[in-house]
Amino acid sequence: MKKLLSVFIFSLLFGTYPASAEEPNIVDHTQLMDHGEGHLMDMDGGMVMGQNKDKLPAGCDKVSEDVKIEVHAGRKYSKPFPGTMFGLDKHEWRVKPCTRLTVTFVNEDNIRHQWMMHGLPKFLYDKGMFHLEITGPAKITGTLILPVEDKTYLVHCDMAQHMEKGMKGELIVGKGSGTFPSIPGITDPAIPDNYGPSTSQPKPVNMPNAPVKPGDQPSAVASAPNVAATVSGDSSGFFSGTLIIGLLFGFLSAPFLFREIGERCKGMTAADALQCTLKLLASLYNTLVRFVSWLVQRLTGKDKLLPKK
Amino acid sequence: MQKQSLVSLLGCALLSISPWIGAVTTPPPTVKVDIGAAEPFCNSGVPPEWRDAQVIEGVKIQEERVCNPDNPADIAAFVKGTNNISMQTLMDTNLAADAITLSNDMDGDGDPDLIVIKLEVMELNGHSPDFPGVVPTYDIAPGVQPSFWVYTPKTRDMSTKSFASAEANSLLRMPSPAIRVEQGDVVWLVLENTHYFPHSIHLHGVDHPYMDHSGEGNDGVGQTAQMDVMPGQTKTYVIKPRQPGTMYYHCHVQPHTHIPMGLAGLFIVEENRPNNWVQTFNVGNNKVRVPSVAVKEKFSQEYDLFFQSADKELHQIPQSANDPRLIAKAMNQDYDITDATDDYYMLNGRSFPYTLRESLIVVEPNEKVKLRVLNGHTETMALHTHGHKATETHYDGIEQNPSAQITRDVYALAPAQRVDLELNTKDDGLHSYGQGLWMFHDHVERAFTTNGMGEGGSISLIAYKSFLDDKGTPKVHGMDLTPYFTKKYWERKIPVWQNWADDWGSLGQPAEGALPTGSVTAAVAPPPILSSTTATATPTNSSSGNSWGNLFTGLLLGILGYVLYLKRERVIDIAGRLTHQLRDKK
Repeated sequence: MKKLLSVFIFSLLFGTYPASAEEPNIVDHTQLMDHGEGHLMDMDGGMVMGQNKDKLPAGCDKVSEDVKIEVHAGRKYSKPFPGTMFGLDKHEWRVKPCTRLTVTFVNEDNIRHQWMMHGLPKFLYDKGMFHLEITGPAKITGTLILPVEDKTYLVHCDMAQHMEKGMKGELIVGKGSGTFPSIPGITDPAIPDNYGPSTSQPKPVNMPNAPVKPGDQPSAVASAPNVAATVSGDSSGFFSGTLIIGLLFGFLSAPFLFREIGERCKGMTAADALQCTLKLLASLYNTLVRFVSWLVQRLTGKDKLLPKK
Repeated sequence: MQKQSLVSLLGCALLSISPWIGAVTTPPPTVKVDIGAAEPFCNSGVPPEWRDAQVIEGVKIQEERVCNPDNPADIAAFVKGTNNISMQTLMDTNLAADAITLSNDMDGDGDPDLIVIKLEVMELNGHSPDFPGVVPTYDIAPGVQPSFWVYTPKTRDMSTKSFASAEANSLLRMPSPAIRVEQGDVVWLVLENTHYFPHSIHLHGVDHPYMDHSGEGNDGVGQTAQMDVMPGQTKTYVIKPRQPGTMYYHCHVQPHTHIPMGLAGLFIVEENRPNNWVQTFNVGNNKVRVPSVAVKEKFSQEYDLFFQSADKELHQIPQSANDPRLIAKAMNQDYDITDATDDYYMLNGRSFPYTLRESLIVVEPNEKVKLRVLNGHTETMALHTHGHKATETHYDGIEQNPSAQITRDVYALAPAQRVDLELNTKDDGLHSYGQGLWMFHDHVERAFTTNGMGEGGSISLIAYKSFLDDKGTPKVHGMDLTPYFTKKYWERKIPVWQNWADDWGSLGQPAEGALPTGSVTAAVAPPPILSSTTATATPTNSSSGNSWGNLFTGLLLGILGYVLYLKRERVIDIAGRLTHQLRDKK
C-alpha cells in the first residue's frame, strides 16, 4: 500500500497526467470493421481483439459493475522511472470479479503500442486474449467482462523490448493471485541490473506474493558470501607453514649470508658487488640442478640418459 | 625468478625420468561422446502447399522448393500492398493493415507509383529482466542466439509465434528485408522507431535528394542531414529514384555498431516497365518469388544474397543488462571495434546448417538465374561457387559494358559493395559442370565457421532440383549431417571425426583424466586432451607456485628481520623521534 502511495505521489510530482492541451492531434479510432469473434480492425492499424460486451463468463450471474478506465502510453511516461524507455501512466488496476471493463488506450507516441492481456477463458476470448493496438497519436477503446476468479492479469505491450523497457502493468481481479516482477514503481526485476560497485544498489523489497522463482533472485545475493570466503581463505593461507619455515630459514641464514657476501665483495663498487652476487646465485643454482640430476640418476639406477645399444 | 627455477628444476627431473617411464605407458582409450538431441533437417512445420507455384490475389507466385519457404499470403501483400488485398489474405499474414500502401498510377502504365512503406525496428534475442533467457528468440544455428536489431515491415499483434512460444514470428528475423521499388516511383519510406535507441535510414547508392520538399534532411546522417529518429518518433524519407540497380540501406546512427547489429538490407530499384508490380519486401531474402518484369525478360529466377558477420562480444551487449543507459554505455563507450574480431558469418540471416533450410539456390539445367549479392561483412569477402562460373553483370547496381563482363568463380566484394551475377546452368564445362549439390560460400576461411567451429558460417548450396526431395531436403551423398543439427556441436563438445574412419574411433575423443596403466607418478602422465589439462592442472600448479612463493616471502621477511635486528638502535631512535614529532603536532 505504501508503495502504491509513493507511486501516486511520484506521478503527481512529475506531473505526467496529460493535460488536454498537450494532445491536440490524438485521433479516436471508432470506425472499426467487425471481423467476428470480438475482432475489430481499421486500415490505419487500429485493432481490438477479444471484445466482449455481453457474454458472461462461467460463474458470473450478472455484471458486478461497469468500470471505465483510460490508460495513457508513451515515451514521456517513462520519465519517473530511470532505466525504462517506454511507459504507461499507471501500472496497477483493481476491479471486482465479473466487472465489465472498458479500456480506452491512448497512445501518445508516433509508433505502435499495445494493451495486451493473456490468460482469459478461451471459450469467450480467442487465444485467451484481450488486446488493443494503435499507432499514435491516437486512442482506441475495447470492452471485456472479467471472470469470477481472483486473478492477477499481466498487462503489457508485446512489441520486442517494450514490456522489458517499462510498458508493463497488472490488472488485479478481486484479491488477485500474486504479482509480476519488474513492473515500474511496483515490483523489482527478477534479474536486477548491475550498476557497478560505486552506485548504491536498490534494496530488495519483501514481496510476499511475488511469483518470482526462488532460483532467480538469490543468485546475485549468494555470490557475496563467496567473495568473502575466498578473501578470508587467502589471508589464512598467507601465514602458512611454508612461510614460517622460510621466515626461520631466512632469519637464521641471514648472518652467514651477509658475512659471506661481505667477505667476497670487500672493496668493490656497488655495480661489481651486484654482479658478484648474481654470479654467486647462478653458481648456487647450477650446483643445485647438478645435485638433483645426480640424485635422480642415482635413484633410477641408470647412468646414461639414452638407452644402451 | 623463483617460478622459473622451479620449472627448470622440474623439467630437469622429468627429463631424466621420461625414458624409463615411456616403456610402460598406455594412452587412455577412446570414449564415444553422446551427441544429444538433434533437430530434424526440416522442422519449419509450414503447410506443404506454401512451396508450390500459385496465384493469390491475382499475383503469380513462383515455387520455392526449400524447407522454410515464404508464406504466399505475405508475398501477395508485398506485391499488391496491404491496402489492395482481401481481409482474409491480410489476416493470413502478420502485417499491420498500413504496412504497405500502394496507389496512384501516375503515368497510367498499370502499376502503382506512390509507394508508402512502413518500417519498424525490432530487437531479436534481447534481454529480459524476468527470466534468464532471451526474447524473442531467433537462432542462426542450433542454440546460437546473438542479439540483433532489424528493420521489419510494420507488423501487428504478438512479436512471438504464439503465446506459448518465445520464438520471434516469421516477419521478425535477420537480415533486414530486401526492399524493391520501381524506377521513377515516389517512395515514402516511413521509419517508425519502435526501438529504445535512436536510429535512421541512409539510402546507400539509391538516388535521393539531400533535402525533401519541406526542407528536412533526407540522407539519414545525423551529423549532416537530420537529427536521428528518437525512440517513439517517426520520420519519412521521400525519394524518386531515377536509376535502377542493386543498392543498400542502413542505419547511420553510430554505424560502426548499428550496421553489424543488423540494421542494414538490400534496396533494389527495378527498371521501369508497364504493369510492373514488384515484390516490395523480400523478408529473409533468398528467392524473389515475384520477379519484376525486367528481370523476367532475361532470367527465370532471382535471388537476394546478403552476407553478414557478427562479433560475439558486440552481440552480447543488449543481453547483458535491461537499463538502456547501461546498454548504451557498453556499446558506445566500452566496446572498441578496432579490437574486435567477427565470430558469426551468416547468409541471409542464418549459418550452416540452417542455411540449407532456406538459402538453397534451386536450379534446373539450362536456366539463367540472377543473383544480387551484398557484402555486409566488416571485411572483404570472396564468394566462390562450386561447379559454376558466373558472370558479373553489375557492380554497385551499374551495368558493366557487356563485352567487358567477367566470368569467373571467385567474386570479390569490399564491404557494402554489390555485385549482380548471372548464373548460367548450361552444362558446358565452363558455366556449369553439370547437375549436383554444389556448395557456394565466402572463401575467406573464417567465414565458413561459426565461432571458429567448422563447417558453419555462410555456406549454402546451388541445388539441382533432381537432388532435392519434395520438402527441399538435399539428397546429400556425403557424411551424416545430424551432428550439425545439435546444440552440442556448436558448443564445441562433439569430436568432428568420431564416427569416421573405423568402429573403434581412432579419431574420437580420448578418455579424460584416466591415468595410464602402470605409471608411477601423476606428473608424467601423457597429456590428456587440452581442456582437461587446463581444467585439472591449473589449480595444482597455482597452489604449488603459491607455496614456493610463500617460502620465498618468508626468506625475504627473515632477512629483513635480521637487518632490523642488526640496526635495532637506529630503528628505535627513528621511531622515537617520529612519535615525538607526532605528539608535538598535537
